[in-house]
Amino acid sequence: MYRNVILLIATVLLATSCRFFDSNRNLSKEDFDIPEGLLDEKPLEVASEVIDDMIQNVSSPVEMAAIIKGLKIPFNRDYIANTKDMNNLNTSFQKAVGLGIYGADLGYINMYERTSLVINHITTIKSLADGIQVGQFFDFNSLSRIATNRENIDSLLLISQQSFNRIDSYLRETNRAHLSVVIIAGVWIEGLYIASRVAEDAKHPRIDETIGEQKVIMSSLMLLLNNYKGDPNVAKLISDFEEIQALYKDVRITYEYGEPIPVEKDGVLTFKQNDTQTIIMSDETLNNIIKKVQSVRNKLLIG
Amino acid sequence: MKNIFLFFLFSIILSGWTVTTYAQSEDDLIEICGMIAQDATFLKDFTIRLDAGDPPPIQRFSVILKKGIKYRFSVCNSNDYEGRVILQLFDNNRLLATTYVVASGKDYPSIDYDCSKTGAYHLFFNFKEGKPGLAVGLLSLVETM
Repeated sequence: MYRNVILLIATVLLATSCRFFDSNRNLSKEDFDIPEGLLDEKPLEVASEVIDDMIQNVSSPVEMAAIIKGLKIPFNRDYIANTKDMNNLNTSFQKAVGLGIYGADLGYINMYERTSLVINHITTIKSLADGIQVGQFFDFNSLSRIATNRENIDSLLLISQQSFNRIDSYLRETNRAHLSVVIIAGVWIEGLYIASRVAEDAKHPRIDETIGEQKVIMSSLMLLLNNYKGDPNVAKLISDFEEIQALYKDVRITYEYGEPIPVEKDGVLTFKQNDTQTIIMSDETLNNIIKKVQSVRNKLLIG
Repeated sequence: MKNIFLFFLFSIILSGWTVTTYAQSEDDLIEICGMIAQDATFLKDFTIRLDAGDPPPIQRFSVILKKGIKYRFSVCNSNDYEGRVILQLFDNNRLLATTYVVASGKDYPSIDYDCSKTGAYHLFFNFKEGKPGLAVGLLSLVETM
């Protein structure tokens, strides 16, 4: 009798302990302290935690679009990539670049609430995402429903952004971080491309400044890309981007630092940064950057 | 025999139902945090999971913030842990913003940050008094300035 009771208790304890670890959340390698050296083969020049740290928000498709819209510059369909160009993108590398480019365009479209263009773009993005086995993270159905019914535009932005964040996380978890970095490069070049087109048409000093300050972001991006320079496609992309970076050497950025001021109003605490950045860039340099960015971006869409 | 059956039933209820009914997932926290952020546009989420420690352990993330944008940082704690999260925003070594103001002892579920310089910034998360905790931080865009 006692033996049976002990056996039963042991079984229940075993079951409860397993149940505890099998809770709602999915365990991944991040949950355990596994030395990097024991994980699968990965480029080792920069540790994955550092990459993880650097990769956060290097380039967001939403912010550039928000800046442009905030300046009351109207939407222009000619600035975004033609979805037919997707047919030129055949390899995983090309699809990842395309995913970034069309993802940035989607941010621009969403920001201006051009829902009629959304379906075409999300269909293209879904197809490219499927091509690199991450389509399951792109919430095509929800996006399609929201765009078709012209539902809450905030949800469109939220789901688009979350889909891209999940794709990014999954690629890094499955040791395909190089594709994640390539997507980021695609988002970045397209954001800069749109800014360059706006700069040509609108001649707004804030847009010129936005283009100039990309020098800072480009340094982080090049560091990320250089970690995967062993891949011939990434090496070629680096070489194209280096041509842009060379032009940025003529852009000088100076800073004046001030203490941030906290202001509480209606229960909302706002910290107002008091630093000043000044971009020193000649018109010639700006025009050279614009031309080069447009040429590199167009080349990427040729495949 | 009846006692064994009761014990078995009680153990199953205790082991299964208690965990699944009350545990808050990261997705739940992101959703709650989204409500705290109100109508700001979602940009990025950060999951913070730290053990107890003295000094309090810190989890760090880097982000690039852009000039001319008002950002909102929102935080949300899991009820399954004691820890209450504190977010601090740094630029190199300067503290620029925080959700916990030491002088007033006040905690803010979200704070806004008017960015005037494009560049890399660092988010430091820790739990008050080094208690163990699970929390989510959200970065969102409020408006351009």
